[in-house]
Amino acid sequence: MSVAVKLLVMFLVFAGAAITIFLAVAYSTHLPVSEQHDVQQRGYAIRGRWFLALVLFLIASFAISIPFYPYMSAPAALAPARKVPVIAEQYAFIMASHLPVDKPIIFEVTSRDVNHDFGIYNPRGHLIAQVQAMPDYTNYLRVIFHKPGQYTARCLEYCGIGHAIMAKTFTVGGKQ
Amino acid sequence: MMPTSDNTGRRVMVLYMGTGLALTASMMFAGLMLRASQAGWMPMSPGQFYAVLTLHGAVVIVALMLCGMGGLWFLMRRQTSLSVAAAVIAYACIAAGAAAVIAATLFGGFAGLYTFLAPLPFHGSWPYWSTGAFLIGMTLITIGWMAWCMQMLGAVLRAYGGALGALAWDFVWHRKAFDASGRPLPPPEALPVLMAGFDGMLAGMSAMLLGVALIVRWLDARVLINPLWAKNLTYFFAHTYANLIIYMLAALIYVGLPYATGRKYHTSAALVVGWWCSMVLTLTNYFHHLYMDFVQPGPFQYLGELSSYLSAVPVTVVTIFSALMLVWRSGMKWTLGAIFMYTGLIGWVVGGIGAEIDATVPFNVHLHNTLWVPAHFHTYLVGGCVLFAVGWVFLCLESRSIRRTRILVRWVVGLLTFGGMAVFLMGFYCAGAYGVPRRYAIEPAPGPELAKIASIGAAVMIIGFALAFAEGVRLRFGYPEGEATIRMTQEVEA
Ligand SMILES: [Cu+2]
Repeated sequence: MSVAVKLLVMFLVFAGAAITIFLAVAYSTHLPVSEQHDVQQRGYAIRGRWFLALVLFLIASFAISIPFYPYMSAPAALAPARKVPVIAEQYAFIMASHLPVDKPIIFEVTSRDVNHDFGIYNPRGHLIAQVQAMPDYTNYLRVIFHKPGQYTARCLEYCGIGHAIMAKTFTVGGKQ
Repeated sequence: MMPTSDNTGRRVMVLYMGTGLALTASMMFAGLMLRASQAGWMPMSPGQFYAVLTLHGAVVIVALMLCGMGGLWFLMRRQTSLSVAAAVIAYACIAAGAAAVIAATLFGGFAGLYTFLAPLPFHGSWPYWSTGAFLIGMTLITIGWMAWCMQMLGAVLRAYGGALGALAWDFVWHRKAFDASGRPLPPPEALPVLMAGFDGMLAGMSAMLLGVALIVRWLDARVLINPLWAKNLTYFFAHTYANLIIYMLAALIYVGLPYATGRKYHTSAALVVGWWCSMVLTLTNYFHHLYMDFVQPGPFQYLGELSSYLSAVPVTVVTIFSALMLVWRSGMKWTLGAIFMYTGLIGWVVGGIGAEIDATVPFNVHLHNTLWVPAHFHTYLVGGCVLFAVGWVFLCLESRSIRRTRILVRWVVGLLTFGGMAVFLMGFYCAGAYGVPRRYAIEPAPGPELAKIASIGAAVMIIGFALAFAEGVRLRFGYPEGEATIRMTQEVEA
């Protein structure tokens, strides 16, 4: 399953569960009417459990997500890597056109004019990594390309009328 | 709730909500044009596309803000006296600002987007005056917004005995002493007012700071603005505005659903604590807009994710859960007002789920600035905020009209509006998951194909809303004659 399908399935499962609950509650208005007092007594008990379950789920999700953060750790920053400068400007990326496969690469991304975003799409068109390109700052993005082929960098921060044509293709692997 | 003798209060609400809903309706057509253009069905140059996109974003925020402001103003006026002049002045500032924004985008072609992320407004292909007109317009809107916030803050502080009283502090911590003191307890709808007033002032201050800095830069090109500072301020105020809109309109549920279900809704300790949490979390959530800024201080990234996650707790445990308890086996009649309000809750939750997925840093790598972002906020704006406002209007109409909406009309309106909306929104979600960037006049595949499906869905949804509008007009002409005479007499006497 691609990342896109996984994200959509996750969204649809959660959204479907929520909508089912809403539909069930909506249907209950056709059942005999209950006293509000009785509804509240049962409701508050369910609410307490929902509160606990939700808080635990959210904190666990937060903890699980931390190791997958894209920010470079100090050892990774110091380890040997190919440094690739990327300069973004309206409406182009100035960077190398050929990059090695299976080698750590650190993109040094900055901008000459306005805010841009350096988004890398793999040969199948999936967005695999990105970082903002800002004037006055340099963002370091560490990537290892495992598959050779033609990649496309697209701008993912609106930067003016030519934003949609701001792209740069580069090849990974093959002959140097 | 609805039967009220406060005709002045109602007229202020009608002014705000009428303007808000009229602007929202026109922006739905603008949005449909944008999607149709991406589908390749409507020729637009990139310059036109981005100018309309700028207009669409800025005006929708202002329009829904006006709906929430008018609704809360009306609700607060039932609690305490409010100056009509102050409300009209705030409205005039916002209307003038909106006019400047419309002129800057439609006539000046300003296309720096409603976020006007510095330094883009000064590096555009549009005339220099339009940048200034847009910035001054946004500043005027913020001045009107802050004037309203001050009026509402003053009202809640006056009505419930200062800041601690409005926060219901003693009610939570010293319940017995509070009950014995006989001090007034804020009703549920006063808590969103306090939140909008307080968080709204902070957001307004940051918008003013940024707006003035950019206007100075517009006047003198030698001024330097730090882009990371500007980005933090931009997302702080823009995120807070967008969030406050839904919390403000949620106040209408607190009054509308008890009316529709014939049940009571009181302030409880859980409700109060829930709103305290929302007040704080709404201010720290904006960090999730800067996940892909690796130069942003690291702790903020972790705080952004944790805070975004935790904001789901007060919303679902307090407001949504209470609403479900109100409806459960209440025998509620499914009038159009009830249908819109209840479905608005679904849009709020589903949009929230989309937001939480995007607020997860490892997922944000794949979703940041893709169409997933407009997917989730359209879910809670058009599927939540708009429905709360429209539902409120219908509850008001239904409470006074002698006419009733036929069941067939309710089914047709519901199916067209919500069916069209679901198709329209799924177009965004699917494209976003496949990495199609947002804000592209011309999209890579599968963007254009999905834009076609989404355009059809949006058109069907607009037809549904148009039918609802026609039905609303029919209900409006069904007011009993006696009431109109009474109102006229009151006006003559006043
Ligand atoms: Cu761009």
